[in-house]
Amino acid sequence: MTTTESPATTKLSKRRTYRRLMYVSVFGGAGIGFLLRYLDYPVVGEAVYIVGVLSFLAIWKGSDVQLMDERDWALERRASLTALQITGAVLVVVASASRLVTWLTDYTVPTLVWGVLYGYIGLFIAFGVAYLYHRRRL
Amino acid sequence: MKNTLDEYRSRDGLSQGELAEAVGVSRQTINAIERERYDPSLELAFKLAAQFDCPVEALFDPGLDD
Repeated sequence: MTTTESPATTKLSKRRTYRRLMYVSVFGGAGIGFLLRYLDYPVVGEAVYIVGVLSFLAIWKGSDVQLMDERDWALERRASLTALQITGAVLVVVASASRLVTWLTDYTVPTLVWGVLYGYIGLFIAFGVAYLYHRRRL
Repeated sequence: MKNTLDEYRSRDGLSQGELAEAVGVSRQTINAIERERYDPSLELAFKLAAQFDCPVEALFDPGLDD
């Protein structure tokens, strides 16, 4: 028995295949890169990681089918907002608790925690800059 | 947003994938619109209306009459 696929079906399956390839490239590259670093092949690990990221970009930009549509962008916006809200809540609570613990007790908050908190602050500064940039254009 | 997309699609005998292809989005996007889980952009709403040769308000009801 033979099946004939419409051009729409073919294009949709091509889109699905390319999207899978994109994610396999980037997550596969990151995973294998991590494994190689763990196995003491740091340079090869980094190379695999970079190749994975470049493959992701090459498929995304080089594909002849549209891989993302407006719903995908809307999903990304919503996910970004949710992540930012959760990160903001964690930042407020943990930063405040860390300062209080430092002032009121003898406990020293690990440098790693401060590093993470400053990383979060950097993320929010980047968000603010990006927001101002887009506000001028919208 | 309430819509009659699936009725128009059935009327024209199109699958979700074929409609998606015709208006340049994914099948999942058409599915999400029909299930009223995603409101399309103005551009996509007009494309869908043009596809079915009907006004946008025949496809989408923003519920402003309530």
